[in-house]
Amino acid sequence: MADKPRPPIGPEALDVLRRIAIRGEIARRLETESARAVLRSVVDATVALFEAEAASIALYDPTTDRLVFEVAAGEQGQGVIGVAIRPDQGIAGYVFTSGQALALSDVASDPRFGRSVAEKTAYLPRSIVAVPLVDDHGTIGVLEVLDKRSQAAFSLRDIELAAVFARQAAVAIRASRVERDLASLVRATLGDLASSSGGASDAAIEELVQAATERIGGDDDSRLWALVERIARIRKIDPGRLELVSDLLDALVRESERDARARRRVRSGGGTAVRPGTASPGGSVGRDRDR
Amino acid sequence: MAFGGVDGTGITVAIVDSGVERDHPAVGGKLIRSVRVELGDEDPIVVEDPEAIDVVGHGTACAGIIHGLAPGADLISVRVLGPDNRGKGTIFAAGLEWAIAQGASVINLSLSSKSDALFGVFHEIVDSAYFANVLLVSAANNVPGPSYPSLFASVVSVAAHDIADPWTWFYNPNPPVEFGAYGVDVPVAWKDGGRMVATGNSFAAPHVAGLVTLIRAKHPTASPFEVKAILAAVSNGARPGG
Repeated sequence: MADKPRPPIGPEALDVLRRIAIRGEIARRLETESARAVLRSVVDATVALFEAEAASIALYDPTTDRLVFEVAAGEQGQGVIGVAIRPDQGIAGYVFTSGQALALSDVASDPRFGRSVAEKTAYLPRSIVAVPLVDDHGTIGVLEVLDKRSQAAFSLRDIELAAVFARQAAVAIRASRVERDLASLVRATLGDLASSSGGASDAAIEELVQAATERIGGDDDSRLWALVERIARIRKIDPGRLELVSDLLDALVRESERDARARRRVRSGGGTAVRPGTASPGGSVGRDRDR
Repeated sequence: MAFGGVDGTGITVAIVDSGVERDHPAVGGKLIRSVRVELGDEDPIVVEDPEAIDVVGHGTACAGIIHGLAPGADLISVRVLGPDNRGKGTIFAAGLEWAIAQGASVINLSLSSKSDALFGVFHEIVDSAYFANVLLVSAANNVPGPSYPSLFASVVSVAAHDIADPWTWFYNPNPPVEFGAYGVDVPVAWKDGGRMVATGNSFAAPHVAGLVTLIRAKHPTASPFEVKAILAAVSNGARPGG
């Protein structure tokens, strides 16, 4: 099985990876909240690849002795952000404390299950997979995936795959502490993926790393990066001025959106003649203008 | 036959987990004792837990599986999961040590510690279990990295297979995981008298713990390594009384 190298992931997954890389790069440039941004991209990728209703990551906060849901993806996942549970509570608590990955189905048929979290989020899953986030010093949190759309239950393979994503999240947290560069983050993730799927040579991984990270920050995306750089600068200004800057930006964005809507109406031939105009400076990355 | 005609009577199995619900129908009234481990001022202490609750449902799931295979065996619950998360690894170690000292013949460990700092502590405990003629059945971990005591050679380490039969198990000649047992979409007992369908190595380990209990009942003088050899020899579809 491992003799013949095969591409570890398909074009769709590569696209997801590329989006992760871009988010990672944005986070790095903003130089703050980088761990959270990468965690967010991990749950985004998890939802996309599992075709799940929701995914979330809870991290243990030793000062409050609580597991806190930091990020979530999927329509059904948003309500959980900020929810704090005792580390012996529910499935997340068990997985965190025992270090043991597990999957449950038929969950909704038991009205007692996870009531405390479900009441706070107004969403009770049918099935759930939960895996620990582990770094060199032990378990630091839990990754949960809820309700795979294609199946009533999660498989063993799903548990293993979720563990790979959890590994990525743990790497991200560590990366935020030691400023690891983006390419090595992607490389580590792919290395985990490759070893869990039993294939892929180092050369194949290197090829994927290049495909996912090449030209990030290049000319194609220059407007995006210019915007990111500006936001990074704005973050450093005096808090008193921040509100003013934020209001100005808000006005610019609204103006650009109005502009874009007007141009769409002109193109579709409906409505009265409206001045097409040009994109406003600063508030647009110019996509509408290019179309 | 490895365990024909026995039901585990005379054997005590400890379940180190989230607690076991004494009144859950799946446990069949066989829970004879329940304790929990708390963090004292310095060291963990073991206290009686007369209410016999399960804070998650996981320990009751394990107990139900073991009782289903070995209905005659007595069960002891050692709850190592509690509201205080400080020093959870040392709480787990203390619970395991206590269970060994109580003379349990089989101990189910559907949990593990990932703390490298506790390598030595667990190594010593696992050795003491082996020399005290206690068999530790430990769920293998799906997550790479340290996992104690499931990675130690003297324990019976178990991963899950997806054949829906509690009596089908496999021997894996490539360690560290030595056995495969039913662990996918397993109907299990859960919290508050409930039930659940569960997947994970956590639920494979108690199947092997149940089988080991039957072997110990049938061959009371067999040492841990002999029990392991029997388990390997009659693997792949053996059934009691067959």
